[in-house]
Amino acid sequence: MYYIQHMTFGAYIRDQREARRSADKAFSLRQVAQRIGVEPAYLSKVEREEVAPPSEATIRKLAAELDEDVDVLLAMAGKVSSDLQAIIRTRPRLFAEVLRQLRECPDDAILRVVREVRDGDW
Amino acid sequence: MIELKNDRLDFSFPNVHPEAACRIDFQRTLRIPDDNRDYPLPPGLGSFPLQHVDDFKDAVPADWIRHGGVFLPMYQAEALWINFGGSYPCAVKIAAGKINAVTGKTWRNPLARKRQDYVVVPEQPWLDGFAVSRGMIRQFVAMPLGAGYTAEEQLTGTAEHGGVQIVVYPMKAAVYEKLRAAEARRGAGDALMCCDAQPCPSMGLAPGGLMRQEIYDDDYGVEAWDQTAGSRCFVHLLNSLGYLSVTGHRPPQPPPTAADYTRAGLPWFEYFDAERKALEGAAKLAGLDSVAAKSIKKGAGIIADNGPIGTPKVKSLGPAGAVREGEF
Repeated sequence: MYYIQHMTFGAYIRDQREARRSADKAFSLRQVAQRIGVEPAYLSKVEREEVAPPSEATIRKLAAELDEDVDVLLAMAGKVSSDLQAIIRTRPRLFAEVLRQLRECPDDAILRVVREVRDGDW
Repeated sequence: MIELKNDRLDFSFPNVHPEAACRIDFQRTLRIPDDNRDYPLPPGLGSFPLQHVDDFKDAVPADWIRHGGVFLPMYQAEALWINFGGSYPCAVKIAAGKINAVTGKTWRNPLARKRQDYVVVPEQPWLDGFAVSRGMIRQFVAMPLGAGYTAEEQLTGTAEHGGVQIVVYPMKAAVYEKLRAAEARRGAGDALMCCDAQPCPSMGLAPGGLMRQEIYDDDYGVEAWDQTAGSRCFVHLLNSLGYLSVTGHRPPQPPPTAADYTRAGLPWFEYFDAERKALEGAAKLAGLDSVAAKSIKKGAGIIADNGPIGTPKVKSLGPAGAVREGEF
């Protein structure tokens, strides 16, 4: 939550990658770019915010690479995950209303509407 | 609370500690040969799909509704392993058909004080089967409930529960904070398959081939776990042939055979943590018939796809950042 409000996508990615690189050289710009399938120059531009954030598919690979939450990274990049878009499209009016109603709710109140796996009698 | 996210069970305990959480998913894998030779760890071929039982109330057996929880599809004689994730220490008790996979005893909610009947996560990265001796397990293999193969049926004589039962207890917040402070001071960083014409919908887990895997001793002691805050989940196993009619979704394709996988030069794995002490296996579980042995005893003959696999290419995994991923 803090990062969404206070950090931009590129700066956050750079921070996280550099933090990992300090312990593991495999997180150099070049190696990370190679593993997620982009050119190092492109990833460098993304981190320096000289280009717009990458596609959802690339953000997903970055999230997996850096062990970050994909929904948080997508939100920081100004995107909504395609699976969430599909969910909203099934019942747009209902989900729009739910989201507006929950906008000001504290986290614990929102968590109460999250569906739990039910434990029964066994 | 337990949430179902991306085919994974996310256990969280916000009332205990904001970081108290544990992730569990069920990995598709090869069935290792059941020939009394021991094998290294097979790969993960991706997670089994998980569904809420309550979403299919009209199509699943009535006792599943009573149990609650989730279900996943498995082919007869398909194997699985249980993958644990998260960094907050948790004690996780696993049973199959309400037979404890570590001790062979019948299910009890609390953690045993005398003889450890649970695994400690994240030290234990995964569990592939029933603990039969120190450093050795028998692979979890799905068999129809009622056919006499499952650990439950062999030990109790009844086919009542099936499935997999899980309870997770987080570490007490005070113990965790003390541990974290101590770490900070130390500067620590961080063919038989799919041929069932009229499948029994409920499956249970039976002991399959032998695999080299250690189940680690609890270094923290049973008092470290907050047993007032446990979360339980019943994971039902649905025969894959019934999965489409119950859910409308196709189950995953059957996995390759162990021999085909090995012949393709794909890797198997070894994992040892030299700093940890491994538990003894359970005599009760060691005395069970494996699927292959039971099949012969029942007069059902030799099970299919159980031949030798040749020499596997084995990769060693260390405890730090171990990722066990196959080709898929």
